[in-house]
Amino acid sequence: MLMFLLNCMQKAAADHIVIVANVDDKSIKLNRQQIRNLFMGGAIPHKLQAIALSPDNESRLLFNTKVIGLTESRIQSFWAQMRFTGRKKEPKEIDSESELLEYLKNHQGALGYCRSGIEIPSELTVLLTIN
Amino acid sequence: MLGYFDDENAEYVGYDNSVSIDKQSLIGLQGDYLFNDSLSFTAQVVGHTDEQRNSGLEWLYLTYAPSNAWQVKLGRQRIPFFNYSDSLDVGFAYPWLTLPQQFYDTAFFSTFDGVLANYEFSYGDWLLSYEGYWGRFDDKIYLNSQEINTKVIGLFGVNASIYYDNLTLRASFNQGDVDIEQTQAAEFSQLLRQLGFTNSADWLNASGVIQLYHFSASYENVDYFVRSEFSRFDGKSGLVADIDSFYISVGYNFYPYTVYLSYSKKNLHFDHPDNEIPFGISTELDTLAATYLGVLAAFPDDKAAGTKIGMRWDYLANLAFKAEMTFVEAKDEISNDYAVKDLGGFDGHGVLYQLGVEWVF
Repeated sequence: MLMFLLNCMQKAAADHIVIVANVDDKSIKLNRQQIRNLFMGGAIPHKLQAIALSPDNESRLLFNTKVIGLTESRIQSFWAQMRFTGRKKEPKEIDSESELLEYLKNHQGALGYCRSGIEIPSELTVLLTIN
Repeated sequence: MLGYFDDENAEYVGYDNSVSIDKQSLIGLQGDYLFNDSLSFTAQVVGHTDEQRNSGLEWLYLTYAPSNAWQVKLGRQRIPFFNYSDSLDVGFAYPWLTLPQQFYDTAFFSTFDGVLANYEFSYGDWLLSYEGYWGRFDDKIYLNSQEINTKVIGLFGVNASIYYDNLTLRASFNQGDVDIEQTQAAEFSQLLRQLGFTNSADWLNASGVIQLYHFSASYENVDYFVRSEFSRFDGKSGLVADIDSFYISVGYNFYPYTVYLSYSKKNLHFDHPDNEIPFGISTELDTLAATYLGVLAAFPDDKAAGTKIGMRWDYLANLAFKAEMTFVEAKDEISNDYAVKDLGGFDGHGVLYQLGVEWVF
């Protein structure tokens, strides 16, 4: 029974999205709306580079639902419009969460996301957890 | 693109009463060259199969973007009149197969040569974007079933967009000084002026200021979307019409499909002045009056509505299939300059069936 409960709790915890970044200033506060703006190519008060997971990644689908609030196909059509009109550039995409965390570690000012439950390297700062 | 219009007495966006695949098809190629992080060069050529659309160079500009907030473009660009004006040809970017024609058909020129600047900043959770452009247009436009030399100088516009979560609001104002080459109308106008019919002479003028006001509101989330745009086009000269138009679309997503319903309406009208040329005094004056009325008749009002029902299937991240039915309703006279073409005896009602594929690479 205890194992079952623990298992359930782990699964529930795994459904959160954690926003992590490689920043010197650990006190940066960003909310969900600002994270959304950053990943949709919008301006935010801090100089940060958004790094996304690739479209077939399950955590990206969770991020789309919880943070962006749009379907993957709508996000793709948005970027097609931005790309062909030269308005905005889409975030760099990385295939897996472990590779993404590795990239963040090596790039100052880079910001990404992963599912909770994944070990975050100590060099990175958790800026926000989204339930 | 595959289309069929169910009425043999009319054409709609180039489709007639037979299945055709070569009307709205196009290919666009874009090249970007990055000089450094903030300076780049873009060129885009578009090839259309539609004879009413000019093929050729649509974009040719330099972009200077010193930061995320600022962007300045110099060169040939699309005029950002409406939400999709700068991405008309990127069908992958919107849900409809054909943009709501009663709305998007109203801009009779689409590119300009000049400068455009955009500034974006966040204020709390809000994102605000300001844009301004200034330049000129000098090319041929498709009007009265022919290509006409047109020049627009002093063309400028300002627009502001507000983004809050999945809500987007946009408002814009645009103005230009238009000179449309209408030799016969100009010669006739001169004759009327010599005879003292100045009101009529003034009216028969295709050159003057145009103004366009635009407002749009959209909301979307994972499950559904609502998109709407409203515009008022004000042609200060007699031969340039005033146009009020809008569309509203609602859609429902069930990944990878989207179904949508759309309604658009256009009211194009001229301020026809009262005829000041007297009838029944002399044969010459009667001929003059008849000619004047004949010219008026060549610039008819045009009222139309379109209801769409359609579906988009996102098969791959860069490939989508679309199917759409458009119920067209045209009132009174039809000017034949826009989406609907009366081939004679059109009763004003028709349905367009379309299938399409959108691929971005």
